[in-house]
Amino acid sequence: MSKTFDRVAALTFLAIGVLFMIESLQISKSTYGSVVGPNVFPFLLGLILVVLSIKLLFETIGYPSTRGEKQRLQYKKFWMIFISAIFYAILLEPIGYVITTFLFLIIGFQTVEKGSIWKSIVIAACFSFGVYGLYVKMLQGTLPSWPIWLK
Amino acid sequence: MAFLLEGFQTALQLHNLFFAFLGVVIGTAVGVLPGIGPMSGVALLIPVTASMTSGLNPAQAATSSIILLAGVYYGAMYGGSTTSILLNTPGESSSVVTALDGYQMAKQGRAGSALAIAAIGSFAAGIVSLIALVLLAEPLSNVALKFGPAEYFSLMILGLAAVSGLAGNSMTKAWMMTVFGLLLSTIGLDSVSGVARFTYNISFLYGGLEFLTVAVGLFALGEVFKAILHNEQNNDGIAKIGRIIPSREELKESTGPIARGSLLGFLVGILPGAGATLASFFSYMLEKKISKHPEKFGKGAIAGVAAPESANNAASGGAMIPLLTLGIPGSGTTAILMGALMMYNVQPGPLLFDEHPDVAWGLIASMFIGNIMLLILNMPLVKIFAKIIETPTKYLLPLIIAISIFGVYAVQVTTFDIFLLLGFGVLGYLLAANDFPLAPLVLGLVLGPMIENNMRRALTTSNGDFFVFIEKPISFVLLIAAILWIVVPFIMKLKGKSVIVNEDM
Repeated sequence: MSKTFDRVAALTFLAIGVLFMIESLQISKSTYGSVVGPNVFPFLLGLILVVLSIKLLFETIGYPSTRGEKQRLQYKKFWMIFISAIFYAILLEPIGYVITTFLFLIIGFQTVEKGSIWKSIVIAACFSFGVYGLYVKMLQGTLPSWPIWLK
Repeated sequence: MAFLLEGFQTALQLHNLFFAFLGVVIGTAVGVLPGIGPMSGVALLIPVTASMTSGLNPAQAATSSIILLAGVYYGAMYGGSTTSILLNTPGESSSVVTALDGYQMAKQGRAGSALAIAAIGSFAAGIVSLIALVLLAEPLSNVALKFGPAEYFSLMILGLAAVSGLAGNSMTKAWMMTVFGLLLSTIGLDSVSGVARFTYNISFLYGGLEFLTVAVGLFALGEVFKAILHNEQNNDGIAKIGRIIPSREELKESTGPIARGSLLGFLVGILPGAGATLASFFSYMLEKKISKHPEKFGKGAIAGVAAPESANNAASGGAMIPLLTLGIPGSGTTAILMGALMMYNVQPGPLLFDEHPDVAWGLIASMFIGNIMLLILNMPLVKIFAKIIETPTKYLLPLIIAISIFGVYAVQVTTFDIFLLLGFGVLGYLLAANDFPLAPLVLGLVLGPMIENNMRRALTTSNGDFFVFIEKPISFVLLIAAILWIVVPFIMKLKGKSVIVNEDM
């Protein structure tokens, strides 16, 4: 376990708990027909979360200090894929499912491991056209189709 | 009994047979693929099944998709054993024990028999737990029908306590996750009064956080991100499978362990929170204890494969009982199944057998058929499934992301949910990597609205008096059990005894 992470997490959850408590005070208290309004349950939960976060904060004091061994993480690959996934989401509706999915998969495949570009293109094309064909044409589902300027 | 026959009629319809078959095949593949466990597999497939069944009417769609998803669930349970035996890398936590003896057997050239015994054990256990499910379903749901809101509230608290008490290494963290899940469930329109809560005028939030988005993000994307960051790859060679049919001697040797493993696994499975991992550990320890040759364990004893494999499959059958009869999921995977049922407006619980007998009995009957399919499929096809292990992560990881995004978009049709999905993916990775268990979070999210409604209904009848939960005898007993569930492991820890915990369910 990581001391720093647990402390940050405890403080974050503490803040979330407090936020829910404060915000639940804004909700109208009582409603017709029930004594216990919609504010009670979130308020109690927020309170419990606050108490638990404080407990975790105290527990972190007892942790052994940070251990040396740490695995090198592939941050570059992760950010590359994560950011392309965000662009995928942003561009999905404007330029359509097939194009975005195809591009995302190519970038994804090449990021995880470079090489065999043709195989990547074939798999990406199969998946993006396959899903679109199956879902939209056969099952009549809704996916953003081709961009207007291509139609 | 008549109902069961009707259930078979439902399950034997052509499209349902097809769905059961598909579920079992996909499930086995999911179990075999390292990195995707039963939980992420089921979560990932909910949107896919939702779109596949979109042509059917609602009740049929619910039956068909739950048949498929349950197939994935027990298929994955079985598939996990394949990697344990062949690669010594368990596909999911419930087959960790299988690797102990299974891999040793594979090294001795007995991989085929180990896989076959695992299949036979899983099958026998599946049948045992289903028979018990059929026998127990009616009486249990009749008892549950007498429950009022106060009893229900306490029962669900017990469920949460059981799961949180056993999940992960730190009980504080597990409880934080539970409460966080419950809090997330309060976002959206309040179902009792219709007041908007924590929505900040964002129209997407009025319907609440979609359970599906959260589950797929936390489990499937969380796993993918972990695999990318840690650069996980499997380069070890796979053991040769060899002869598949086990010898008569091996069969004889494993009959006892399979029978004991099935019963034990089923009993452990019914307990909320315990789940398949604990069941397989317990049955392995039991076999080792009563064996005449305990020294053989860990060196390729067939009982060491038969018992835990039967136990974890029986446990997954047992876990269906509280889900179907009480409406309370006892583990992460059953919580996801419950979320799927609720997406189709089918509320699991005692009324399920009255209101949707076709769904309940169709599911039970299809599990019989699915288990038979698993056995028939896996004996000859085990070599093909073993090939799936070799799928390069290069293609697998981006494809899982693409399937998740497609799934969420297909059901929700908003890009907002894709962003939410990616966010929960990161959150899932961070939390899981630091020992914050995810199963309680999902459980809290699913049970949240029900707990709140029952609490408020109970409090309304008692005019806001919180003592109502203690005054009703059944509710009181359930609450005491919940408290014991928290306190007992705590005391055992203080005494220095190590407590077995479920890493993931």
